Amino acid sequence: MTEEKQLTEQESIQLISRMIQEARNYFYESGVSGLIYGFSVLICSLLKYFTAEKIISFPFDPYYLLVPVFVIQLWMQSKEESKKKVKTFTDEVINYIWAGYFFSVIASLAGLFAGVGSIIITIILFLTGFASFVTGAVAKFHYHIYCALLCWALAVISLFLNDATIYLLLGIAAIFVWIVSGLILRAKFKSLHHG
Amino acid sequence: MFKDLDPILHSQLRLAIMSLLISVKEAEFTFIKEKTNSTAGNLSVQVQKLKEAGYIEVIKEFKDNYPNTKCKITKAGIVAFEEYVKALQQYLNVSQQ
Repeated sequence: MTEEKQLTEQESIQLISRMIQEARNYFYESGVSGLIYGFSVLICSLLKYFTAEKIISFPFDPYYLLVPVFVIQLWMQSKEESKKKVKTFTDEVINYIWAGYFFSVIASLAGLFAGVGSIIITIILFLTGFASFVTGAVAKFHYHIYCALLCWALAVISLFLNDATIYLLLGIAAIFVWIVSGLILRAKFKSLHHG
Repeated sequence: MFKDLDPILHSQLRLAIMSLLISVKEAEFTFIKEKTNSTAGNLSVQVQKLKEAGYIEVIKEFKDNYPNTKCKITKAGIVAFEEYVKALQQYLNVSQQ
């Protein structure tokens, strides 16, 4: 591209649309942090279910394991952010949504100390649905909107459950919200950056 | 009354840089170079012209121990870009009539 080439009005408009499209098509999301979080939530939920059903014993509440996972995920996310050549407004909004989500979940986990029990899972499912819905809308990633609907349905079902099955609902949400979407992002990332 | 097209923006490479930056928060120099298919020297000169016009902000930092340059559109740059697009639309509307 030469610097001083004078453009016609038509060429200018074409150049503007092409460049805006190029910037919008930029994608750098490895999906790894989503996969780590998804598998962690799934494992913790299964452990919680098995301990609640007295199939196994665990020295502390398995959901406490999510606290170090948050730290690891935060570190991985900041590492990935630094690799991005472009910072979009969409990325920024999504990062704020999930940061708000994680702080809300940590705050909800305080309910474990208060012994309020399974209602925390309902709250987390509603929060997950909300974060997933806004992410899907902002990123125009319809899969996340379907995940949000699933999370809200699971949250409503959880209101009617009084046994350990409730923990499995969070495990189901983890599979769809983080593991499957993480795999989708990973496949797209690989095809764009290694393909 | 037709507005004159901003001479700072009415050049291929500078317009390409501004168009890339208008839809993102910030972009690295290497990304702009890759997308505009320009040489580093040529791009540096045009980035400097846009910076002098107050249309973009240039941030120099270190990334993994290497110097890294990032560019970000300013408020003045957004206004100038919008004015430029409006002026272009005026010209195109007249030529279509």
